[in-house]
Amino acid sequence: MRVILRVGMYVFLSIAAFLSIFPLFWTAVSATNSTPDILAASMLPGTHLIANFERLLELSDLGRAFWNSTRNAVILTAVSVTICSLAGYAFEVFHSKAKDRLMGILLLSMMIPFAAVMIPLFRLATSLNLNDTTLGFMLPTLSTAFLIMLFRQSTRSFPHEMIEAARIDGLNELSIFFRIYVPTMKSTYAAAITITFMAAWNVFLWPRLIMMSPEAVTMPMLISNLMAGYVTEFGVVMLAVLIATLPTIIIFLFLQRYFAEGLLGTIK
Amino acid sequence: MKKLIVLILVIAISMLLSACANEPDTPVAVEPDPDAIAAGGTITVWSWDPAFNLRAMTEAAAIYQRINPAFELNNVEVPWEDIDMQITTFAVAGTLDLLPDIMLVQDQAFQLNVMNFPEVFLDLTDSGINFNDFATAKTSLSMVDGRNFGVPFDNGVTIMGLRTDIIGEAGLTVDDFTSITWGRFIELGHEVLAATGMPMVATTAGGADWIDYMSKSAGVSMFNPDGTPNIVGNAVLRQALEIYVELVRTGILIEVDSWDAYIGSFVNDVVAGTIAGCWILGSIQQNPAHEGLWAVTNIPRLDVPGGTNYSSWGGSSWAVTSNANAPLAIDFLKNTFAGSVELYDILLPAAGALATWIPAADSPVYQEEHPFFAGQRVAADIISFSANIPTFYFGVFHYEAISAIEVAVTNILGGSDIDAELQAAQEFVEFQMQG
Repeated sequence: MRVILRVGMYVFLSIAAFLSIFPLFWTAVSATNSTPDILAASMLPGTHLIANFERLLELSDLGRAFWNSTRNAVILTAVSVTICSLAGYAFEVFHSKAKDRLMGILLLSMMIPFAAVMIPLFRLATSLNLNDTTLGFMLPTLSTAFLIMLFRQSTRSFPHEMIEAARIDGLNELSIFFRIYVPTMKSTYAAAITITFMAAWNVFLWPRLIMMSPEAVTMPMLISNLMAGYVTEFGVVMLAVLIATLPTIIIFLFLQRYFAEGLLGTIK
Repeated sequence: MKKLIVLILVIAISMLLSACANEPDTPVAVEPDPDAIAAGGTITVWSWDPAFNLRAMTEAAAIYQRINPAFELNNVEVPWEDIDMQITTFAVAGTLDLLPDIMLVQDQAFQLNVMNFPEVFLDLTDSGINFNDFATAKTSLSMVDGRNFGVPFDNGVTIMGLRTDIIGEAGLTVDDFTSITWGRFIELGHEVLAATGMPMVATTAGGADWIDYMSKSAGVSMFNPDGTPNIVGNAVLRQALEIYVELVRTGILIEVDSWDAYIGSFVNDVVAGTIAGCWILGSIQQNPAHEGLWAVTNIPRLDVPGGTNYSSWGGSSWAVTSNANAPLAIDFLKNTFAGSVELYDILLPAAGALATWIPAADSPVYQEEHPFFAGQRVAADIISFSANIPTFYFGVFHYEAISAIEVAVTNILGGSDIDAELQAAQEFVEFQMQG
């Protein structure tokens, strides 16, 4: 019976793994094929990788888009994780009933769709002359209720005795945060960095509004531009998609060890 | 606590309402100003597709700079969906100063945008551009209340592309498919299906584009001139639906689930041809093995009074915005897209851009034989089609009507009654119009 269960589990997991990996495999294979081959659903690697790459460079400013996306995502991730971890820590450590209520209201903001606040945000950003700037890009997601909640929930499993001990030893609150809390909460930070980086890398609607000049184009915008022509060169699009996927894969692979732990709020 | 929540909600709603508080303005009219033209400056243009529209704009700028050396072009790539979104955002947010000088607007959304956001567009009627030099059906797509708001560019004439080798297996030629009715097309489709096992054409599921271009071929809109829906009792629409359903049920037309699959249908020998706007010619030529095997002819017609073999699908026109250096932007368009045979002579071979500017059709370039289409004078043929397209009124709620018809087509194919579905579609559109 156990053997049957085990076999069933492996079969199920193999199918799930195949379904998960297939889109990436299909993208990678298609990046090496010509448009007619892709439309004929070719599953084998082709010989058009270099031709597709040359065409991609011809049709778009790939280097600039990649740099813009990297710069925006890295800065936003660093700033957002810092702000939200400070907030999450404060909500839990300097705990009070009033702050709990404030946290409740903050969580309500997760229920407001972005489309509802997009135009007021756009007016605000425009009035502050933030069009085509990294700050303008970051404005709506500098602090998110989800990240604050993630840090607040994780902080619940953080031993408060350590904070007390540090205070007795004479450390000020900021030093406690940076020298004790941050190193202890590595897995939560890993999860937060992964989530924020992926969201910042893939965000499309807001940059499309606020980043209007060709110099500010990001990778998702570049892919959208490639798809907007009357003739879509699918090999070129797939190569751009593959290149745009790589940074998020790399970040995830580096931090995956901590990712699940971070989401569960465990501390080792 | 409750007071705090109420306060936050009030602030949020105030922000949203303040964002929506800008009242629609009236369109802005403009007249030529020689001093402003001579002073020159940089004109920012938004359009999509570097190989086509942006290329066309670059060539136009090069020609205009010979007349006006003080002119500079800032050519920006922006997909149509984003231009559409920016028009709405800028108008609602009151940030019209962020608009470019010129932008390309899809014909099917042109009237809708001018009617919803008149403050965004310049009225070009008295600008000195001769709109009589364009096909009437094309200029009508960017006109509101008899005023011109767009300089026609990209041709959206509907064509039927046919694989001569495949229909040849059924003993048929392109002439058999030329200037026929849909009833005859279905008969010929059966012959091709029997001889080769191949459907005639494919389209993406839902078929709304098909119903749309069929209706246009008879010049009948889903809206009356007063803006009210014209769905129930619309004989043209009903016949278009009946034909579409029959085409699908007989297997002469196959529905596919994505645009990629649609392109794949004719690139990979799944179907014997395709019907779409003439912008599909670029995609048809993607398979080099098909060189010499394709031919282009007009589309079948509905068997109704006023039915023609000509229609349009897609296409776009240049709009000058209210934020433009208007005299310069207009003079630029007037001397290029609305006044230069040389420009269209360059664009046809370079970008495959077919003109809607009638004088361009007399150019020898438009009479050249196309090797991919077995020496057919494709450009000249398409230009001759464009002169015969009936004029058409889209209406503000065209998109809503199209999505209602898409639902109706799916339900009718599932066995629902056509009249009941048309009634439901009309009620849906009326409900949307109330909102």
